[in-house]
Amino acid sequence: MKSTNHIKDLITKMADDELILGHRNSEWTGLGPILEEDIAFSSMAQDKIGHALALYEILHEQFDEKDPDHYAFLRNEKEYKCCHLVEFPIGEYDFSLMRHFLFDYAEMIRYETLANSSFEPFRLLSKKVKGELKYHTLHAEEWIKQLGNATDESHARMQQELNHCFPLAAGIFEPAKEFESQLMDEKIYPGEKKLYELWLDKIYSVVTQASLNLPDIGKVQPVFGGREGYHTEYLQLLLDEMSEVYKLDPGANW
Amino acid sequence: MNNSYDPRVKRLTLKDANISLREGEHWNIFEVFRQDKRGARHVHVGALHAPDPVLALIFAKEQYGRRKDCFNLWVVCSADILAFNDEDSDVFANNREKNYRDASGFKVRDKIEEFRKKSGNIKK
Amino acid sequence: MYGGGYIFDEPDRRQRTEEYEHDIPEKLAEFEARIEGGEKIEPDDWMPSEYRRQLIRLIEQHANSEIIGALPEGTWITRAPGFRRKMVLIAKVQDEIGHGQLLYNAAETLGKSREAMINDLLSGKTKYSNVFNYPAETWADVTVIGFLIDAAAIINQVANSRGSYGPYCRALERICYEESFHLKQGHEAFVGLAAGTPMQRRMLQDALNRWWQPIMHFFGPPDTISAHTEKLMQWKVKMASNDDMRDHFLNDYVPKVWELGLTLPDPNLKKNGETGRWEYSDPDWDLFFKVIKGDGPCNKERLAVRSWAEEHGRWVRQALMSSKYRRHAPVA
Ligand SMILES: [Fe+2]
Ligand SMILES: [Fe+2]
Ligand SMILES: [Fe+2]
Repeated sequence: MKSTNHIKDLITKMADDELILGHRNSEWTGLGPILEEDIAFSSMAQDKIGHALALYEILHEQFDEKDPDHYAFLRNEKEYKCCHLVEFPIGEYDFSLMRHFLFDYAEMIRYETLANSSFEPFRLLSKKVKGELKYHTLHAEEWIKQLGNATDESHARMQQELNHCFPLAAGIFEPAKEFESQLMDEKIYPGEKKLYELWLDKIYSVVTQASLNLPDIGKVQPVFGGREGYHTEYLQLLLDEMSEVYKLDPGANW
Repeated sequence: MNNSYDPRVKRLTLKDANISLREGEHWNIFEVFRQDKRGARHVHVGALHAPDPVLALIFAKEQYGRRKDCFNLWVVCSADILAFNDEDSDVFANNREKNYRDASGFKVRDKIEEFRKKSGNIKK
Repeated sequence: MYGGGYIFDEPDRRQRTEEYEHDIPEKLAEFEARIEGGEKIEPDDWMPSEYRRQLIRLIEQHANSEIIGALPEGTWITRAPGFRRKMVLIAKVQDEIGHGQLLYNAAETLGKSREAMINDLLSGKTKYSNVFNYPAETWADVTVIGFLIDAAAIINQVANSRGSYGPYCRALERICYEESFHLKQGHEAFVGLAAGTPMQRRMLQDALNRWWQPIMHFFGPPDTISAHTEKLMQWKVKMASNDDMRDHFLNDYVPKVWELGLTLPDPNLKKNGETGRWEYSDPDWDLFFKVIKGDGPCNKERLAVRSWAEEHGRWVRQALMSSKYRRHAPVA
């Protein structure tokens, strides 16, 4: 039988990104800068957790992995494939917004290209989440542009967070060492390098309109490691928290 | 003071509450009109605070459009809404009397019947 | 969620109830006739200043309860067990923030700005429902809040939705619609634990025991000691007495707890077959007033967290404060 490890690896890293960032962003519920934004940000966190669930369901249904709850909440830290960007605590709103902007553009581009994947569940998912991702990027773009162009303080904050987040965001595109060429050959997805280029194009235009400067791309050292299971100190703590209740009795109905 | 039970709260640096907001810090107010489906009319559903119309629309999408079918929304600054004072609603008071403006004010059938009775032998 | 049956008085204002006498008598008669006839009062209508004051107080404290009430539950989002519970809980807490948003709007139509209301909340001048001064210690607490506190709040909110002030009623119409989801999800999670493993049942029983007193406090002191509501009832600001709402709650929900084989920590709790009313041990009202005054287990934390949100969101708000600032209260 043909190995499916390459697809499983891709799905796992996409799902883990969504799961972890969805949890992080949900922490803003009740703490946002204004009630209206609180509500909007919370909805997008829900969408992310929903995307994670949809991906874990594919793993469960197509590849006989454990059920989504079990898979999402009971693996060892080393088995998670999320990138470092999503692991950091929420910090201040400038960091969370910049992360949201950089991540959600990457997410939108990834899912857009999956509309042409040879793997049917990806095509279906791509179609299903299109509208949600459109809203997320619309929201992110407007915030980045408005804050980038508002006051000296807000401009400085956004520029600083762009510099801070950029190498982490470039880490989203860490290629899967063993699987990259197989995934591309089978036309499952276009490969991380291609996605990275498409992403740079998109964010460049928004960043410019926000009067911000992208760091010198040639000199950026992307923060890799997450896709291989090496994580920041924050992931384990969050995993413990996420599964605290579920772990009391994973066999129980909660 | 942060001996909270809550992990997310533990991660915050808390101080005693002592902030005082300035008037206007929560931005302008916009009215929101919701269109449930294409072709339907927009209906006023509430208001929200936003710095400008674009963010108002973005906020409206979640606060007024996150459940049930929604096709589109309008936002308009509350300060731009012009309305009569309620006590001036008597400007509309005689509308119902002015039935010459209304289909219900025309009863031509009676006249026809009367005419037919009078003239007797017109074929149907 | 949280109408919180009890409208908290500002301490020094307990006696100031007859202010409306200074208003214009003919206007007052017209106003009262309108309410009597079942019509709503709208923002631009003439209203007695005492009516305005009481409504602002009622609606803003209701709004405060929504955004503070979002904190004990919100903090459990990351810990909620499994996907379904997590997504349901975020959506639920998000709704509560949304309720706060709708209610502050309704109060703004009466002339008090959202900023002023938040300032009064943070300074302790205005209150929020007392139940949120208690911690949600375990997941079972979240299910007790989601089921029983939301249930209690719904009784209060459904009553208030028949009140006299148009914008408040319209906000409540939407809120009550969303609350029915809250109640369902709360009941489901509650039954999930009750029908679960012995450990889950123990967690739940434990949480029920801890929450029973705050729940009995929820609708406020007995009618005998919380008088001066006659005018508010006539004006349809207060729609039901504390004791009536409490009785309604006990009648609807105690059986739903008992049918699961759970107990409530009050040996005197029973329905009197003759009067049809529920009997119970008198809750500790001194404790209730003490907690309102700021001495509950979580008062400080709740306000500090809300204040954190306002403070850390400030640079965002200030950056986008428009030079074209034109504040006008919501129109309806
Ligand atoms: Fe997203
Ligand atoms: Fe609510
Ligand atoms: Fe609720």
